[in-house]
Amino acid sequence: MVLADQLPVLIVITPLIGAFLAPLIYRRHEKASGYLVLLSLLLSVVMAVFLLIKVRRDGPYFYQMGNWPPPWGIEYVADPLRVFMLLVVVAISLWIFLFAIEDLQHELRRTVIGWYYALYLLLVASMAAITMTNDLFNLFVFMEICAITSCAIITVKEDRECLEAGFKYLILSAMGTGCFLLGVALLYMVTGQLNFGFLQQELTAAVINYPLNVFTAAALFIVAFGTKAALFPLHVWLPDAHASAPSPSSAMLSGLVIKIYAFSLFVIFYRVFPRSLLDSLPLSEIVLWLAAFGVMFGSVYAMLQTDLKKMLAYSSIGQIAFIFMGIGLDQRLALVGGLYHIAVHAITKAMLFMAAGAIIYATGVRRISDMNGIGRVMPLVLVAFTVGSASMIGIPGTGGLISKWYLALGALEIGRSLFVLVILLSSLLNAIYYMPIVINAFMSQDDFACQVKEVPKVLQSALVIGMIFVVITGIFSRPLTLLLEEAVTVFF
Amino acid sequence: MEILGGLIHNYYYFVAIILFVIGTHTMLTHANMIKKVIAMNIMDTSVFLLFVAIGYVQGGRPPIIGSDPEALYINPLPGALILTGIVVAVSVTAYALSLIVKIHRAYGTVDYDEICELRGDE
Amino acid sequence: MIVNGHLSPGGGFSGGAIFGSSLVLVAISFNLEAGAKQISHQTASLLESGGALGFALTGLAAIFLGGNYFANRAAGFPLGEAGEFFSAGAIWIITVFIGIKVASTITTLFYNIIEKEQVVGDIRRTDT
Repeated sequence: MVLADQLPVLIVITPLIGAFLAPLIYRRHEKASGYLVLLSLLLSVVMAVFLLIKVRRDGPYFYQMGNWPPPWGIEYVADPLRVFMLLVVVAISLWIFLFAIEDLQHELRRTVIGWYYALYLLLVASMAAITMTNDLFNLFVFMEICAITSCAIITVKEDRECLEAGFKYLILSAMGTGCFLLGVALLYMVTGQLNFGFLQQELTAAVINYPLNVFTAAALFIVAFGTKAALFPLHVWLPDAHASAPSPSSAMLSGLVIKIYAFSLFVIFYRVFPRSLLDSLPLSEIVLWLAAFGVMFGSVYAMLQTDLKKMLAYSSIGQIAFIFMGIGLDQRLALVGGLYHIAVHAITKAMLFMAAGAIIYATGVRRISDMNGIGRVMPLVLVAFTVGSASMIGIPGTGGLISKWYLALGALEIGRSLFVLVILLSSLLNAIYYMPIVINAFMSQDDFACQVKEVPKVLQSALVIGMIFVVITGIFSRPLTLLLEEAVTVFF
Repeated sequence: MEILGGLIHNYYYFVAIILFVIGTHTMLTHANMIKKVIAMNIMDTSVFLLFVAIGYVQGGRPPIIGSDPEALYINPLPGALILTGIVVAVSVTAYALSLIVKIHRAYGTVDYDEICELRGDE
Repeated sequence: MIVNGHLSPGGGFSGGAIFGSSLVLVAISFNLEAGAKQISHQTASLLESGGALGFALTGLAAIFLGGNYFANRAAGFPLGEAGEFFSAGAIWIITVFIGIKVASTITTLFYNIIEKEQVVGDIRRTDT
């Protein structure tokens, strides 16, 4: 038993075991439960780093559950692309949890916090498994775990708005899952395989013999993943859900959960569907145009909001559309841009939601118009908000510029300069709704009116870590883009 | 005509697709929340029906090794997949129903349109 | 059904559901106190987490015995003749754990939904 060989499974099992233990321990000793969660997340991050080193040294690695070879067994894959996504997921989960330990005492009832820890760890475990799995039905199971737990971390707060928003999210998510399962059934009908590699081989023949099944399955996959990842016309659940959730849940949902579905769509487009299908059907075109509309509509709706968290949620819709634009442009540099944006937006949006959470924790204000002059009483939190806004807009020095740069380069290379215009216009619209908050916070004439509580050191340190990450992804971006470029070249 | 013949021959698939459409339509348009949950179950069950129908082999027997190891068995893989799928659907239904109980306590109604009106007035 | 899970249709899920429903039926047909005497809250929570932990740890045990996660033959669990009672190594252990977990989950769900009705209190309507 070499431990390094078992890493893919251990990264999924560690949060899972932590999730089962956390409520038991919380009953006896509350702080120990928090430390247990921290420990399991830390172990996952360490194991993910080891896995990255191993994959860089030895190449892609296939892990078979139960020693059953595919197609009879479930297979997990570790190649540079998936390990990148895995590292993003577990590292940012650990970081958000640092914020959550303090903030949860304030937002939830004492008795449910143990269950929140369990839900959080289950969510991390399911996302880690989704990044690495190579089997369609395993993907379905973990997608369902992710859907239920992400809905549960919204409704654990038991407010009126949380419950309704959570129910809407659950129903639309269930529709997405139904469509996904139907697509899997249609593909299984013509190929008899569920493993990605085998499926791709069989599909090259199946597209010619049974084209209708495969086209319907492709359409159903786009609808399913579009609903869960808030692609343009299917985004209606996102603003209520992310705005009414407790702040760590909002950070987790906006930062990671919607990205994991975009990533799954990307993997399915390039690892399951054969190249002939992507060339014959305008699948990428559809995703591209929906993404372009999403970018514009997300920004336009965000401008009209008065509540801080709702504005951030609408901004998420626009930014996730960037990632879909990268998938839709179907070109090397654009794909690198889209994938880089997954990491950048995860860090930035999590930090923005954490800053909003810190503002609500300290003062209780949620409306943007009440926030004049707040920068003078809470400087650190608002500086973090400023750095996050700069990254959303795409100011040089932050990570947001690098991803938009690559997207624009990719669009130009295939001659679709209209989408460069869309990217630039959305950056302008982002500036229109982020900058007034920052300017009013620091340079407004009025003084801030409400009582300000002290923000705990843990929250402040989490925000400082976020700012450091944003600047690192902006300036020292070359290692990550090199990793992504070599990961993406495999598909072309 | 051959389409009709094909439909009648494969009527399992046809019924599964019709149930799927009924379930999805009800889930999205009807206002009563419990109806939505029931429709979600119908939708999931229809896909399971499709899966199991795919695995059927003409003249096969249930896939349990008995006295005659050379007999023709139906494909056991879809059955195993569906067992997992049913458990997943049951957990989603359980969660949705407990959520409805909480919403009823908070809003006083199980009708989604009324809840939207109440939210709109806030 | 649970214990014969590897020999005939059924297995952990359906067996556990039947077991859990029987405990719920006691609560429905008599009153809630009689139902709660069958299995208390603490026990149900403990069994729930314990069942899930047992399931995960069985897979880990397979790793320690030399195979991959959840390996059966490769890890050296004792396999018997096909059709005998003590055969198919790890599947029996996993089935028992799943049965315990599903049964305790169904009872916990039932009691959580029913018992809150007796606790007075409404949802706070706050906008923190």
